[in-house]
Amino acid sequence: MRISLPIRKSKAHIWGWIDTMSSIKIENVFTAYDKADVLMDVSLEVFSGKITCLLGSNGAGKSTLIRSILGLTPPRYGRILVDDKDITGTATHKVVAEGIACIPEGRKMFPKLTVTENLRLGAFQVTDESLIRERLDTVFTTFPRLAERRDQLAGTMSGGEQAMVSIGRGLMGGPRILLIDEPSLGLSPLYVKENFKIIEGIRDSGITVFLVEQNVRQTLAIADYGYVLSGGRVVAQGTADALKEDEEVYAAYFG
Amino acid sequence: MDIGLFGQYLANGVMLGTMYALVAVGFTLFFGVLDVIKFSHGDVLMLGSFTGFTVYIGLLSLGIENPWVMIAAILVVSIITTAALGAIIARYLVLPLKSAPPLNILLITLMLGTAIREAVRLFYPDGSNPKAFPALLPTASVDLGGFALRADSVILVAAGIAVIIGLNLVINRTRLGLAIRAVAQDEETAKIMGINYTMIVLVTFAIGSGAAAFAGIMNGLYYNEVNFGMGLLLGLIGFCAAIIGGLGNIYGAILGGFLFAGLQTIGAVALPFASAYKDVFAFGVVIALMAWKPTGLIAERSSDRV
Repeated sequence: MRISLPIRKSKAHIWGWIDTMSSIKIENVFTAYDKADVLMDVSLEVFSGKITCLLGSNGAGKSTLIRSILGLTPPRYGRILVDDKDITGTATHKVVAEGIACIPEGRKMFPKLTVTENLRLGAFQVTDESLIRERLDTVFTTFPRLAERRDQLAGTMSGGEQAMVSIGRGLMGGPRILLIDEPSLGLSPLYVKENFKIIEGIRDSGITVFLVEQNVRQTLAIADYGYVLSGGRVVAQGTADALKEDEEVYAAYFG
Repeated sequence: MDIGLFGQYLANGVMLGTMYALVAVGFTLFFGVLDVIKFSHGDVLMLGSFTGFTVYIGLLSLGIENPWVMIAAILVVSIITTAALGAIIARYLVLPLKSAPPLNILLITLMLGTAIREAVRLFYPDGSNPKAFPALLPTASVDLGGFALRADSVILVAAGIAVIIGLNLVINRTRLGLAIRAVAQDEETAKIMGINYTMIVLVTFAIGSGAAAFAGIMNGLYYNEVNFGMGLLLGLIGFCAAIIGGLGNIYGAILGGFLFAGLQTIGAVALPFASAYKDVFAFGVVIALMAWKPTGLIAERSSDRV
């Protein structure tokens, strides 16, 4: 499969946002569910135009950080800045309006909507119908299998196909920052490999990527910079190359 | 049974089915987006009828007597008022209780319905007596072999079915409808798509309540009467129809509405000496149906939710 998503350099007009700075700064964030603290004083930066990854085992608080950024579980303390604009505690649809999209953990299809309807929802805030059609065409060109099944209910598709819909849906809004939560979860090694290539393609097209993963080796192979989260705290950080050598990374998993 | 009587029953059944479907669609929409049962729905419908009646009295006092102008004004004011009330109920009573046990929402809307009903009875001028709703539609009729098909019935059914089809198109063909269906399937992912969740919930409650107001006006024009208690039975039947069709499913709600009207009609035909028992018969059959198919006739997994 040829990966050419989402072609922002050659077709900048259909994806917009080009050449803008797109970074997220997390400053001293504490997030809790009821009484259980999950994130404790997390500070990190998602760098413009790069793949920044967040590694950690189950329960480390990775998904909670994504939820905090999206405003689904707002932090109790701390700030979240997008390009120096404070979005802490902003309603989710307003965070999305800032140009942030998410490919959620477990893909989260709308099972009883068609592939096309799922993709269109990714562009819900886009009002220009011709732009939506152009982006649909691009997604269908990238994933020919989705083109064949555009009118099929998403819930009836295989996990790999749903992953394609989820990626396409995440790009339909033309985001400048894409949050990707555990893309390898529940997929066969072959699909995982393909998905990681696609994520590299997304970065190369100019979209800032924040990749949350458990799969250390494959993630560090494509990431530029990384953080390791353990017990709700950042325990290590550095360039991907440095992290590959770092004992802390492995300690966070096995220690 | 002679063909004339059969025609009469059929026309009446289709009329009732259309009204019930309009009420049931509301129940199904509310359940779809929020997983709640809003028991004040029938009384909101009654309030829609009384709003319409008030508009009629107001227009009369202004000397406006053109029936089409009256009907248009009655519908517009009643639907807008009721839609706004639906959105207000969602915003201030239902959404704040979202994380509470579902029973609390059930109870609060049950109490609200009673409060609306009693308020109309006590505060509307002579509210405890039925009001004569005017026959504004042309009553000319064609004789179809012993059965007189009246123009007003035809217009009411046609308008009601048009509203049902319109609602269906909104839900299945528009951007708003796509957002409603997305919220119904997965609230959180819908938010991640950039959908303004609160707005969609309010709009859905407004649509469902507006449809109930339409049914209430239909009811008034057909029976030429409105009364403070009319929402009780209509609400219960609408809820029942939504359940028969598999709550959360819009086609099921429509089907359920017509099915219930069909049962009432069969009850009236089968018990000609005691047609007052037609509701007992219809509810009895529904009780048996529910015991037989506890999840509704159209199971949710084989059909779209909302």
